[in-house]
Amino acid sequence: MTVGMLRIMSRRGDDRITWDSQKVEANDPEAMAAIGEAERIFNEELKKGGTAFKIEPGSTVKRIDKFDRTAEQILVVPRVVGG
Amino acid sequence: MTMLETLSLFLGIWLLFLLLAIYYLSQSPDGSVGRFRESVSGHLSAESRAKALLREMLTESQYQQLIKFGYLEIPSPSIDNRVYRVPGSGGLVKVYERGCAVMELCLQPAEPLPDGDVVVMHKLMIEGNEQEYLQKANHFAPGIISLRCQHL
Repeated sequence: MTVGMLRIMSRRGDDRITWDSQKVEANDPEAMAAIGEAERIFNEELKKGGTAFKIEPGSTVKRIDKFDRTAEQILVVPRVVGG
Repeated sequence: MTMLETLSLFLGIWLLFLLLAIYYLSQSPDGSVGRFRESVSGHLSAESRAKALLREMLTESQYQQLIKFGYLEIPSPSIDNRVYRVPGSGGLVKVYERGCAVMELCLQPAEPLPDGDVVVMHKLMIEGNEQEYLQKANHFAPGIISLRCQHL
């Protein structure tokens, strides 16, 4: 099973949403609902000022502005401010 | 019975009642101690999740550096010989070039995050978004400010 994961940093630690990428490719309704929800949360967090990064093992961290369904892991950092 | 023995007896009874009261309050979801316990448990859970994320995001040598020295050094992806030294438990990020401190940066999440998550946040922003990281951070001359930044 290939799992995709969206992680949102918060005061509770990180909240996670996962989906089965293979089932998404096969248009499985449950997997489609999970990835749809992940995309909705992703967009919501970015609207609030968060920054998203695509994280792939053995690769450099890449900032993304659009939800990437193929990403193995996406981590969203909340809005940051100069202190 | 001596005065000391009487006093010890009263103190013992008082402690017993105090412990019983704490126990009953902690059993009640509406009790203040119950809420306190939930809050402590939530905090510990957040910290343990943050620690797990930290372990995932750092290499073994980076994690050992953080444990041993209390900071994580992140090489700049775009500026030669520049290293960002991110403290493990909050505070300013020190910037070194060729081993010399050149500035200190203060950047923090708008909402409080566990310490481990803050370290990961700095790492991701430096490695994946360095220019914006530098734009958003407040810059200070090295050594001028040593106070820990508080969350907004």
